[in-house]
Amino acid sequence: MTSISAKLDDISTGAGGADLSGAQVSRLGSCWTLYLLTLRQHLHGRRWIALAVLFMLPAGLAVVIQSTRARAPDTFLDFLLSWILIPQALLPLIALLYASGIIQDEQEDQTITYLLIRPLPKWLLYIVKMIATWTTTVVLVVLLTVLTYAAIYIRSDVPVADVAARCFKTAAIQSLAVVTYCSIFGLLGLLTKRSLIVGILYTVVVEGLFANLPLSVRMSTVIYYTRIMAYRTLSFGVTWPNGDQNDVAAEAWFLDVASDPQLKEHPRLLSCVLVLSVISVVCTVIAAALCSQREFHVKTPEKD
Amino acid sequence: MPIIDQGYQHWSGELSGQAWRWLAITRRGVKTALQGRWIRLAILVAWLPALVLAFVLCMWGLVERQSDLVETFKPFLTGLLGRPVVAGPREYRVEIWTLCFHYFLTWELGFIMILVLMAGPNLVSQDLRCNALPLYFSRPLRRIDYFAGKLGVIATLIGLIVIGPILVAYSLGLLFSLDITIVRDTLPILFGSITYGVIVAISAGLLMLAMSSLTRNSRYVALLWLGVWLITGTVSVVLIQVDQAQRSRAVGARYHRWDNEQFLSAELDAAKHDWRPLVSYTANLRRMEESLIHTNAAWQKLIELTPVGQRGRLMFNLVDTQYPWYWSAGVLIGLAVLSACVLNLTVKSLDRIK
Amino acid sequence: MTPIVTFQDVSKWYGNVIGINKLTVDIGPGVTGLLGPNGAGKSTLLQLATGQLYPSQGAVRVLGQHVWNHADLNRRIGLCPEQDAFYEWMTGWDFVFTCARLTGLSRRAARSAAERTISSVGMEPHQNRAIGGYSKGMRQRIKMAQALVHDPEVLFLDEPLTGTDPLARRELMDIITRIGNEGKSVLVSSHVLYEVQALTSNIVLLNRGRLVAHGNVRQIRDLIDKHPHHIKIECDGFRQLAARMVGWDDVEGVRVIAKDRALMVETHDPDAFYGRLPSLSLEDGLAIKSVYSDDDNLEAVFKYLVEL
Repeated sequence: MTSISAKLDDISTGAGGADLSGAQVSRLGSCWTLYLLTLRQHLHGRRWIALAVLFMLPAGLAVVIQSTRARAPDTFLDFLLSWILIPQALLPLIALLYASGIIQDEQEDQTITYLLIRPLPKWLLYIVKMIATWTTTVVLVVLLTVLTYAAIYIRSDVPVADVAARCFKTAAIQSLAVVTYCSIFGLLGLLTKRSLIVGILYTVVVEGLFANLPLSVRMSTVIYYTRIMAYRTLSFGVTWPNGDQNDVAAEAWFLDVASDPQLKEHPRLLSCVLVLSVISVVCTVIAAALCSQREFHVKTPEKD
Repeated sequence: MPIIDQGYQHWSGELSGQAWRWLAITRRGVKTALQGRWIRLAILVAWLPALVLAFVLCMWGLVERQSDLVETFKPFLTGLLGRPVVAGPREYRVEIWTLCFHYFLTWELGFIMILVLMAGPNLVSQDLRCNALPLYFSRPLRRIDYFAGKLGVIATLIGLIVIGPILVAYSLGLLFSLDITIVRDTLPILFGSITYGVIVAISAGLLMLAMSSLTRNSRYVALLWLGVWLITGTVSVVLIQVDQAQRSRAVGARYHRWDNEQFLSAELDAAKHDWRPLVSYTANLRRMEESLIHTNAAWQKLIELTPVGQRGRLMFNLVDTQYPWYWSAGVLIGLAVLSACVLNLTVKSLDRIK
Repeated sequence: MTPIVTFQDVSKWYGNVIGINKLTVDIGPGVTGLLGPNGAGKSTLLQLATGQLYPSQGAVRVLGQHVWNHADLNRRIGLCPEQDAFYEWMTGWDFVFTCARLTGLSRRAARSAAERTISSVGMEPHQNRAIGGYSKGMRQRIKMAQALVHDPEVLFLDEPLTGTDPLARRELMDIITRIGNEGKSVLVSSHVLYEVQALTSNIVLLNRGRLVAHGNVRQIRDLIDKHPHHIKIECDGFRQLAARMVGWDDVEGVRVIAKDRALMVETHDPDAFYGRLPSLSLEDGLAIKSVYSDDDNLEAVFKYLVEL
């Protein structure tokens, strides 16, 4: 290292003249960097293989179903894939994959130290990472929805504009749902080390069981509001090859459209949006508050 | 100052036999797993169905002996099982025992999935993460010993909630029956159940180990396991639903009721060639369970006792298990081979570790 | 002298485990060595000083300000953590640049700072490779670079020399010395006495979470010299040797360890004692097999100081 002395002089002049007292120092810049770092963490590595399988699943299923026996009605397939498979199984899984590890992954990998020693308060750190997680999951959900719709309607005679409108509405509703799931699982990740198990139990018991009971308890689930939004904005009437017609969503979701066609007993579209948004914000704020008071142990015993 | 050789210190003492070296890994792994509060809790909860099984088998023993102790339950049993069964319980012993074990194993499958989810993800991924493989392979352990040791952890946990309770419940059932012929009648059920437990342990164990070797992050392993468990199940249900909906709509709304025996017979015929349940990992395991303890035969015998027109409720139980069992066996063997290949590729012995 | 780092009656416990026990110490400018065996509380002290942990009791101040939840203070602090953990998929340059940006430097300033800091730790040739492929020495250097990139006033280095080869160790030590000479405050933790001695004469000694000694290394050595050194000598004629040594003025005591065919000698003047040994061995043909003393290692220093 012949030039080591000269290089040492560089350090002594202030890391290349980095003047931290001036306007060069910006918290917004730090946040943006953390946001980009989190996005990169989400998207690098072999996780793509698992994600690609998940993404292709509904679309692949649509192709398989359409190519076996007689073609299923498009709306029925749309309902099964976009409104049963995706919100019931894929959205919670994607949210669980990304959100429950926002802090836990950094802690397990012991890289959290590099974030904690930067001039970013811990609550801001959490919020920025959560926003990045929302971004990733929403982009993924939009991709997932577009792929699924393309596979379902590719050979359909439904006008492209109608399919695009339906796809847009579905993507918007599911994005809101995944944002809410992320916020809930992010909070779980700070409340318990077993966030994955608790998250799965939540998904199975609350979003799986409670949501499918024709009782008011379903109003405590994310999927209920997602379904109401879907039902208020999309049509789920299916016409079968033999001429039978039925409303698959109303039947499957226990919506009594016969006596209450306007769904007056259920929240309105705006209320659903508000409920999910408020849940997301409240969970994120609570988690950020927890985060700001929390010690993140690296190389020291966990118990305090 | 004495200079001591800092190189590899060869063990100069006696070594135990190669055949049991994996046991050290299993013992350590089980100990670690059982230190977890959640795992202990899951095992305790998983024993609840075993209590029910033991209770029902004991009660059935008393019914067979026409004991006064069960006199008060007889009207209830008659309503549930039908007069012929309660009047001649010994003739239906095999069917009742089979269905008791079937329901127990169905419940336990859920617990097995949860327990493997809790105990399995760390098994290999943790070793990869901490670069701990040299700790194993710098000793006279082969890769097969390592895999067997890790598999042993999952097998032990599954044994704790399936095979152990089965043996206890079976023994209690025999004790309350006081009839030696019961051993002859029910031994195939016992062997079938234990074989099923072993199949699940090997299949789930290998699959989990393979997944655990794919990544250093145990959370991703758990999510992969969830994918195999829940996503394959949901996909299978979606495929079956679409197929059934198309068939039922083709014949008209009034005809496709699930209590319509004619419709159910048609569905049973269609299910004989249906590949869709194969997509679900747990459906394949359930199919193996059915073929090992002959659940379908038990249902068939009970269906014959039911008056025509009221058989729909029982026939419904047969729909999922009509396709050949060896299809499921093929899927499970394929998965096991795939898992073994993955393990072979991802867990290298010491000389190949970076 | 204004203290840079102040611990006032600080305790930190994890459940039943005590990390730091009623520690009161002021650390001034310049390079300070933080010494202690494994589990002494060095990492806890550094994590408390960098605001990663909250003290169970007492107060921790750096540059006169409380550190817990005081994120802005981190602009003036740099930490090279002990753990060998990185975003493995990043290149070295990317990692240091990202750390600079996270500290709040503008893109241009961060780029310039990253380039110079990477160059200063001799990682320029490897800066575009993924960290996952780095050797241990490279990893230590790039870790050092991220701590330096925002030009901190106070630098905390947790076992920075662990795992490095002699050349890399020398270079890292040069960097640390130079930073200290520039008037920056550096707190370096280590459990290897000679490493710290090469960097500074000012040390803080910890043992089991307690402050054992604080000050100049010479003063601490003097404290040790007040205690007799223990030297173990293996020799076939150990009884004959014992009889000879008992007569020496600098020997405080001789104990025979018959089963090892050895002696344990206590002396106040080890230099004189060692000087006499070779001739003794030659003169009497006692054939001394080995001479061993573990008094010079850190554990022995602690042992003495704790017993004080």
